[in-house]
Amino acid sequence: MTTKQFLISAWPVHPAALAAAAALAAGYIVHWRASGRSVKGRAGFLVIATALFLLVLDSPLDALADGYLFSAHMLQHLLLQLVVPAFLLWALLPSPSFSSSYSSSKKGEGLRPALQRLGKFLTKSAVTWLAGVGGMWVWHVPALCDAATSYPVMRGIQVLSLLALGALFWLPVIGPRPQQHLPPLAGVLYLFTACVGCTLLGIIITFVPVSVCPVYLHPSGSAQMLALIRNGWGLTPAVDQQIGGLLMWVPACVIYLCGIMGLLARWYAGATEATGPIQPKGEPTTV
Amino acid sequence: MNSNASSAGALSFPAHSTARERGSLFSWVATVDHKRIGVLYLSTAAIFMLVGGIEALLVRLQLAVPRNTLLSPEAFNQLFTMHGTTMIFLVVMPTFVGFANYLVPLMIGARDMAFPRLNAMSYWLFLCGGLLLYFSFLAGGAPAAGWFSYAPLSETPFASTKGVDYWILSLLVLGTGSIVASINLIATILTLRAPGLILRKLPLFVWMNLVNSFLIILALPALNASIIMLLMDRSLGAYFFLPSHGGSAILWQHFFWAFGHPEVYIMALPAFGMISEVLPVFARKPIFGYAFVAASTVAIALLSFGVWAHHMFAVGIGRPLDLFFSIASLLIAIPTGVKIFNWSATLYGGSLRLRTPMLFALAFLVQFTIGGLTGVMFACVPLDWQTTDTYFVVAHFHYVLFGGSFFAILAATYYWFPKMTGRMLSERLGKYVFWLAVLGFNGTFFVQHFLGLMGMPRRVYTYPDLPYWGSLNLISTVGAFILGFSVLLLLWDVGRSLRAGTPAGDNPWQAWTLEWATSSPPPEHNFERVPPVRSRRPLWDLAHPETPDPVISGETSQNHPLLEKNFVGINAFILSEGFFFVMLIAAFVYYNIQQHGGPLAATLLDRSRTALFSAFLFSSSFTLWRAEAALRQKRFAGFNGWWIATIMLGLVFIAGQGSEYLALFQKGVVINSNLFATTFFALTGFHGLHVCIGLLALVIVLGLSWTGDFKTGRTEAVRTVGLYWHFVDMVWVFVFTTVYLLGPSL
Repeated sequence: MTTKQFLISAWPVHPAALAAAAALAAGYIVHWRASGRSVKGRAGFLVIATALFLLVLDSPLDALADGYLFSAHMLQHLLLQLVVPAFLLWALLPSPSFSSSYSSSKKGEGLRPALQRLGKFLTKSAVTWLAGVGGMWVWHVPALCDAATSYPVMRGIQVLSLLALGALFWLPVIGPRPQQHLPPLAGVLYLFTACVGCTLLGIIITFVPVSVCPVYLHPSGSAQMLALIRNGWGLTPAVDQQIGGLLMWVPACVIYLCGIMGLLARWYAGATEATGPIQPKGEPTTV
Repeated sequence: MNSNASSAGALSFPAHSTARERGSLFSWVATVDHKRIGVLYLSTAAIFMLVGGIEALLVRLQLAVPRNTLLSPEAFNQLFTMHGTTMIFLVVMPTFVGFANYLVPLMIGARDMAFPRLNAMSYWLFLCGGLLLYFSFLAGGAPAAGWFSYAPLSETPFASTKGVDYWILSLLVLGTGSIVASINLIATILTLRAPGLILRKLPLFVWMNLVNSFLIILALPALNASIIMLLMDRSLGAYFFLPSHGGSAILWQHFFWAFGHPEVYIMALPAFGMISEVLPVFARKPIFGYAFVAASTVAIALLSFGVWAHHMFAVGIGRPLDLFFSIASLLIAIPTGVKIFNWSATLYGGSLRLRTPMLFALAFLVQFTIGGLTGVMFACVPLDWQTTDTYFVVAHFHYVLFGGSFFAILAATYYWFPKMTGRMLSERLGKYVFWLAVLGFNGTFFVQHFLGLMGMPRRVYTYPDLPYWGSLNLISTVGAFILGFSVLLLLWDVGRSLRAGTPAGDNPWQAWTLEWATSSPPPEHNFERVPPVRSRRPLWDLAHPETPDPVISGETSQNHPLLEKNFVGINAFILSEGFFFVMLIAAFVYYNIQQHGGPLAATLLDRSRTALFSAFLFSSSFTLWRAEAALRQKRFAGFNGWWIATIMLGLVFIAGQGSEYLALFQKGVVINSNLFATTFFALTGFHGLHVCIGLLALVIVLGLSWTGDFKTGRTEAVRTVGLYWHFVDMVWVFVFTTVYLLGPSL
């Protein structure tokens, strides 16, 4: 098998992923209808998120992650946790009343205070931070990593949890309710410490001499694929794991860094006003 | 009490000292005035610069002609090691700290630094660290393993004199001093700004010092941890970096460069800040794209932590690492390039005044860009393989650090000298200094690019007479002496100006930041009155009320409890300490995850027994919390009770750890038994040391409580020490998990 043949043939279709994408789109239409406002400029984010979601799960990347390459799994992990949820949050309409109207339409009044308390707890920045960084660490405990690769049910749980944890993590930074956002510099600290958390994990994965996800040591798939990966691309299990660790270490932090730059841009953009105690006339000029 | 005190509102100033008191030597030794400490920093660094310069000239003399025998190989090795170490740790870093010390409180309209006595301590640490390093000459020979002391060259078998030990001790003292100074700067900038001076209005020099201080408190612990490990190797017979006993020399490189690469930016960011102040003033325009310059600084600082392995391309760390670190290193060129473009755009359309500070700033722009471009070349792995450890590297980093950082220091010297002394430096002599420095610098280092490409290795004490090598080296040596002469000329001008310079006035350059609003030199209390800060250029607004800058509104919220200076200071310290423990834990994991002979965690450690003692330590966090609650309700007896309980619980933990150590010693397990013992004692020992320091602090607070200190409601000490204690407990959660829960099954 050549790389080209592989890229042409390896397009697995997961009905569950397609169903999830459809459900997502349907949910979005409900959300949009309920808000009664235009989604201009926002729906595009949903399209990107859905497309990316399907591309991650129904593409050669998934074929590789399905028991062959740890690094492919890692790329999926990062995209599902850091990128797709960010686009999903951007797709939501920034509405302060979104949550309240949503919960008031809910039935079962007795549950509401408990739910609200849960919601409040879940949106605390310490909790969302732990959700984001914890998701990275927990799913790389060898037993869990193996299980998620070996059993479709665990795989489904993993994908959903990554999306949920990622969305929680981004809430205080780009969530739909601005009043829940952290102040910009606190947000910088939030993202920087998350970067440190992922860097440490990345460093461990890169340098440990043992396998983080032993399933990938001896893939049980087709011999042709293995020949392509091991001989054609020169990816031994050790190199594969190193690339996985490096993905967690460097590109993940670049994503956080982009977030930090966005926060600083937001911070400085709110800086200047035309009026003040002294009324300026004309442009400040050189002496 | 002075009459100024009443006019300045809540602040009360101590009585002014008399002229005689101010001039005495004792007053300089005992001073806690940030301006005087700044001057002490700058003048001490200038002396070390002369020493480091002489070392460089000796090195250049030896290399002036092929097969020279002026210096022995041993002396040559000592000289280039001392030159590098001196220039980095005793000249560039303390000069930046000196300028920051002098200028940051003035630029933010503050009375002094947040912790004036801590400030004095950081200066004396710097001086003592420098003296320790130079004492090595008297103690059997200076260090000779290069400024990054690669193991195993720096280990006892290959460096048997005490030189490297002095290098370690000196760097520990200097590193601690730098961390302390940075914590002080962070607390000052975050908590003591004048009303209206919100963070978005900060002068860029202050902003970059803030970012730089974070860089220092996060990067220096990596150096401290690794040199402590090296010291344990050398003095206690541990095996961290000794390949002959299973240690890893490569780990030293990782650890060192995890500090060493951020260090490059530690030596660049304040320089960027200086340039960002000087260029606009002499172009008579506000800085172009303030937000871009400020934000790109943050990007540089963050990226600098993720690229250290590019110093190790030639080690053989494998293709994936090469690839990722090559890309990450190239990324740094983006925010740095953004700065260069912003500075250039600041010049564009300005009415340039080519005074001496501006000349140095312009030379910085050109020379730093050249150094930056060769840096981009080094990010490409194959190019790095060809040129690493040649004179191409020497040329590259001197263009960054001398052509960049040091030229920025010269620009800053000419720019702020009138403020510090009240007298101008000579403009005519300044032009001579400038042109001699430019000629000397480029003469020294530009030709070294070619020498490097021709294959001349760095750190060789002599070389064969190959074509062009002799002549290019001679040009380099002549350039170095021209450079040295220019520095002497500057120092002569400084001496001349101090005696008979033209009086400067408050604001000789018509600059716009707050330090120019007070007299030159500023009075002890800095400001009679801080002008209102409505925009980024408060003095422009004062001078041109008809065309002020756009107002940046927002109130400083520094009376928020989260911005209390002790709280900010202790949190910065905890952040720094956290990184120190990360290094120790990383070393433990790294060595215990692989096979090695001798006693192991699984057979030696009594998990349940230590868990019991850990429970005591963890419960001390609970009693501490109750003590603080009691204090809030003003139940002082309750506070003392809970506080004593905290101390007792801590003591039980320490006793438990002591008995564990004793049991291990009785089994013959000591630090040089094997790598498990080495890493185990290093990690748990340093945690134990922190517990002991915490206990000491707890006892001091108890003493304060007994003398009734907290009845006035000033309870910052309790909160500060309490946070530190919680931190020590928190660290044990990680240490216990790593060593006792995961350790045996690693």
